[in-house]
Amino acid sequence: MAEEFEPKIVAFLCKWCSSAGSDLAGVSRMEYPPNVVPIQVMCSGSVSPLYIFSAFNKGADGVLVSGCHPGDCHYIKGNYYARRRIHLVKKLLEFVGLEPERFQMSWVSAAEGTKYTQVIKEFVNELKPLGPQNKLRRNP
Amino acid sequence: MAKIEDLKEEARKLLREGKIKYVIGYAAGTNGWMASPIFIKKPEDVEKLVWDPTCVHNLSRFLVDEKRRKEREKQPDKRPVGIFVKGCDSRAIVVLLQEKFIDRNDVYILGISCEKGGVVDEHKLARKLEGKKPKKIELGDKGQLVVTTANRKAEFPVEELLAERCLECRANFPVISDIMSGEKIKRTVEKPFGSVEKMERMPKEERWRFWKEQLDKCIRCYACRSVCPMCYCDECVVDSINLAVSADTTAEEKADKVKWIQRSAESSENFVYHFVRAIHLAGRCIDCGECERACPLDIPVRFLNKKLEREAKELFGYEVGFDPAQPSLVSSFRDDDPEDFIR
Ligand code: SF4
Ligand code: SF4
Ligand code: FES
Repeated sequence: MAEEFEPKIVAFLCKWCSSAGSDLAGVSRMEYPPNVVPIQVMCSGSVSPLYIFSAFNKGADGVLVSGCHPGDCHYIKGNYYARRRIHLVKKLLEFVGLEPERFQMSWVSAAEGTKYTQVIKEFVNELKPLGPQNKLRRNP
Repeated sequence: MAKIEDLKEEARKLLREGKIKYVIGYAAGTNGWMASPIFIKKPEDVEKLVWDPTCVHNLSRFLVDEKRRKEREKQPDKRPVGIFVKGCDSRAIVVLLQEKFIDRNDVYILGISCEKGGVVDEHKLARKLEGKKPKKIELGDKGQLVVTTANRKAEFPVEELLAERCLECRANFPVISDIMSGEKIKRTVEKPFGSVEKMERMPKEERWRFWKEQLDKCIRCYACRSVCPMCYCDECVVDSINLAVSADTTAEEKADKVKWIQRSAESSENFVYHFVRAIHLAGRCIDCGECERACPLDIPVRFLNKKLEREAKELFGYEVGFDPAQPSLVSSFRDDDPEDFIR
């Protein structure tokens, strides 16, 4: 039997909330799929759209941007800017025909280890039926 | 009807009195029917200026070059530059002002309303005339386009000849000017985003095939970037600047020179380029259509910008190019910006 497809997810996690949330999931020994390559960033607002395009270009099957809940950003407004910018990126990617499921955003606080595992589980489940992302991937 | 004569008079006066450095306008084309940009320094040359539906170029791009030139000069001539603008071009100036790239005193704006016209699309024209060379193209008084060729004069409804963007234009008159000719009237536009909507209705995979086919053609000449008045960054992320690495090169210097994309014209790299271009023009592109016109491969790059223009309007109520005091699209937010896509 063919091996099941395991999607590779690049997750940009803000240091103060989502990354701390993922740490909490880790130290609490919660189980979740190992498909994520986490990249810690200072704030969701510091995620340049280019990071996202580049991740897809270098072979990510899915990309996640995660930050603090509205009102909780360590830099006060970073996640509000991110919300707008990421929304535009999402619309653009969908416009050229990328599957909408491949690009996600979430709010995960430092206390939400369980939510983090939930987000990842769902993401992986949605990506599996889609198979590898070959549209934007650089030719090997 | 917009008359260029009044504006010419003003230009002549300004030049004579030395109030402006020079005037950027349109003159009869030297290569085909399309008017070409002209820089006029002497009052007696003002006569050369023309105004008709072949004045396609967005001249505000030259303000970017002017600013660069001024920065290089030791004792720059600080007088304003006179510039002829259509509606779309004037909105480009609004964005340049909004971003404080130029100052209101840097320009003297001579605005002309397109009224019920606009500019001619070269492909549409070529198809209509089947190879015949137009001598003159004018806007008739009934709102039709009058095309004169060597042996005949023909009239066409504007829809058949005008650029798509003109047919979708929401303000075909200057929104900012020091002097303006013509009225602030416009054609009724039923579907300002009709072309984008049509594409959105295509099934996802079809849309993908469309863009893949289009962007595969891109040769990365960057003409679309060079012609755009909003593409004025000193350094563009898509240019790979070679960094001479020595023993003293710091990690920061290397990190600053990450090669995000390759210039190789492969479709995967082309997608990154066009995404970057579209995103960086979100809330800034005023739909002058120059990028698409300049593209030697006829890639409909304008659509990507138009798509984001529409999203900006629909999601965030943001309209480009009307108010120089408005904070820019991506450096502002509202507390109730939609977030139903976030988990
Ligand atoms: S992206 Fe194209 S249509 Fe938009 S301002 Fe630049 S040249 Fe004009
Ligand atoms: S889209 Fe057209 S103008 Fe722009 S870089 Fe590609 S080939 Fe050149
Ligand atoms: S610090 Fe977490 S989103 Fe800004």
